[in-house]
Amino acid sequence: MAVDDLALDVPRGSVYGFIGPNGSGKTTTLRMIMNIYYPDAGSIRVFGEEVRGASTDRVGYMPEERGLYRRMKVRDILRFYGELKNGDGVKREVDDWLERFDLVDWAHKKVETLSKGMAQKVQFIATVVSRPELIILDEPFTGLDPVNADVLREAVLELQARGSTVIFSTHDMNVAERMCDFIFMIFKGRKVLDGTLASIQDKYGSDTIRIRTEHGLSVCEDVDGVEKVTDFGKTQELRVGRGHDPQEIVATIMARTRVDGFELTRPSLHEIFVRIAGPEARNEAGEVPDA
Amino acid sequence: MLKTLRIAKREYLATVKTKGFILGLVLAPVLFAGSALAMVLFNDQVDTRDKVIAVIDRSGLVADALFEAAETRNAIAVYDAESGEKVRAAYVVRVVEPDEMEPDRQLLELSDQVRERNLHAFVAIDEGVLHPRTASAGAQIDYYAENAALDDIRGWLERPINSHLRRLRLVEAGVDTAASADMFDWVGVAPMALASLDPETGEISEGRRSSELEAVLAPLILPMLMFLLIMMGAVPLLNAVMEEKSQRIAEVVLGSVRPSQFMAGKVLGGVAVSLTAASVYLFGGVLALRETGYAEFIPYRMLPWFVIYMVMAIVMLGAIYAAFGSACNDPTEAQSLMFPAMLPVMIPMFVMVPVLREPESTFSTLMSLFPLFTPMLMLMRQAVVQSMPAWQPWLGLFGMLVFTLLAVWGAGRIFRVGILMQGTPPKVGNIIRWALHG
Repeated sequence: MAVDDLALDVPRGSVYGFIGPNGSGKTTTLRMIMNIYYPDAGSIRVFGEEVRGASTDRVGYMPEERGLYRRMKVRDILRFYGELKNGDGVKREVDDWLERFDLVDWAHKKVETLSKGMAQKVQFIATVVSRPELIILDEPFTGLDPVNADVLREAVLELQARGSTVIFSTHDMNVAERMCDFIFMIFKGRKVLDGTLASIQDKYGSDTIRIRTEHGLSVCEDVDGVEKVTDFGKTQELRVGRGHDPQEIVATIMARTRVDGFELTRPSLHEIFVRIAGPEARNEAGEVPDA
Repeated sequence: MLKTLRIAKREYLATVKTKGFILGLVLAPVLFAGSALAMVLFNDQVDTRDKVIAVIDRSGLVADALFEAAETRNAIAVYDAESGEKVRAAYVVRVVEPDEMEPDRQLLELSDQVRERNLHAFVAIDEGVLHPRTASAGAQIDYYAENAALDDIRGWLERPINSHLRRLRLVEAGVDTAASADMFDWVGVAPMALASLDPETGEISEGRRSSELEAVLAPLILPMLMFLLIMMGAVPLLNAVMEEKSQRIAEVVLGSVRPSQFMAGKVLGGVAVSLTAASVYLFGGVLALRETGYAEFIPYRMLPWFVIYMVMAIVMLGAIYAAFGSACNDPTEAQSLMFPAMLPVMIPMFVMVPVLREPESTFSTLMSLFPLFTPMLMLMRQAVVQSMPAWQPWLGLFGMLVFTLLAVWGAGRIFRVGILMQGTPPKVGNIIRWALHG
């Protein structure tokens, strides 16, 4: 079963991040919102109305795998997708977006001549060119270089500023942390997180020490009171066990080496994700860990 | 409806704007006309080298007559009377004494001579050919050559040999063959069209002589054109839908339209492609026949039927092909489904000749009333049998209409499931289950 017993509300005008491990049901949920898949039970309401074919005109959808006619010219395919949504002023929108994404020179070229990054930008334009009120993006940042990722990120935030609601799925926790007003995590078809980043982190409390030392990981291991060490190379994140004093942990490490800096903080989204879906959590649940 | 038309428009433009379509549109009639022209041109390209034919005449009655017949033919048929140019091969008859001791060895030796190109062929005439019914010995005439079955000389030999044998039999019976010069003249049977009454003038028009051109123009060319248009408008939908599915285009499109609208748009696009090609061919054909003085052979009465059959065939078969395409995940699976999918188009091609020969037989009638075959076979029968009972084409059309509705309904259900079903092979069981249960 891809998705089971899932309930979520997406506030209008927000950027809503969908996270979850591979195969957890993210794409299936997005497809159900789009009315491409039909749920066996339950209901999906978009803009307060039960999802039907007509409502999809107000929704733009960008699938994870790009769906572009390879032999069509860029401008033609964008106009086709825009008009298919009964979008107003599609021609002008197409021109604006092509200029903004630096694709004007490619407007009359066939899709098959585009690089993967360019095709991804074209797919994004195809999604938003009809000025939908709700925009659903499945892994929009995957495969983009930092420059194009920034362009896309700015575009998403501008669409939000215009009043659109944006739902996107991602495996990049940094992007989710920085861009999303609300974060939703699905795991094995069920909701495990739903709320603002702050509210999610509040549930876990300030149980993380982020530390930078001269000797790195080696001095952070086997410290009493540390449940888990996550190594980021230059810095390490230490999860503090319940009932233990972070001060004592830092003091222990300072006794071993020179500490360049540290802070007591709430766990990052990455850390929360791993705690929920990582091998440790699965071991606790009695699952066989991945090889 | 607007979305369906937009999909149809894209489908149509994506096809007709390709070089392949334009090239195919031009090349098809060019190839057809070219092959007809080539047949006419190459018809005169005969081998004019003399053909030496050995004759083993065991009857002792025929060889001389055959020699004379060849001489007569050579005198009038080998050289063009005006230009004096050699236009046909001369037949050189060489009489060979039968080897009664070793007949098989003689056959082998002559065969070797044919292989060595010293002879073109040889004829072995049995002893009893004058009275084959009562002959105690053999009464056959055998023709030995490299390509004996299709060799024109074999056909030519029959007439002088049999005319001479008949003459000998009449002489034996005491008839003076010299008394009647036209005793062995041949009168052909001319093919004529039926006479008809002109409803305006009330005059009876005599049946005019029908030609081979008329015999094949409508009955063969119209169904062939139908085949071509189905291949252009309906068959490509199988691969097109498979590609849209495998490249995830369908997922994007289905974010905007319902599966039924998607499929309807694809099929309508196919209809538009076929109508475009049909317009070019029909207008072009009519114009060409009028300009070349063959206007009387234009089957105007068939044209409305042709268009109706074509539109329904594209809708019916296009929906089926689109459904099959939606069930496939890659080109290999599409290829495996192509053969069964092509049967409704190929079977009418296989039975064209028997239907053309006997258009009013029970077999032809039943085959043409089967909805999948109606567009090609009923069309062919209507072109041949002008007095066909009116209920037959109308019943065929009604059957097509019902079958088309059923096909579109079932195909729509298959399409709805198949287009989003990844990794499930297009097994017949799956397709039937999707059609029945959605």
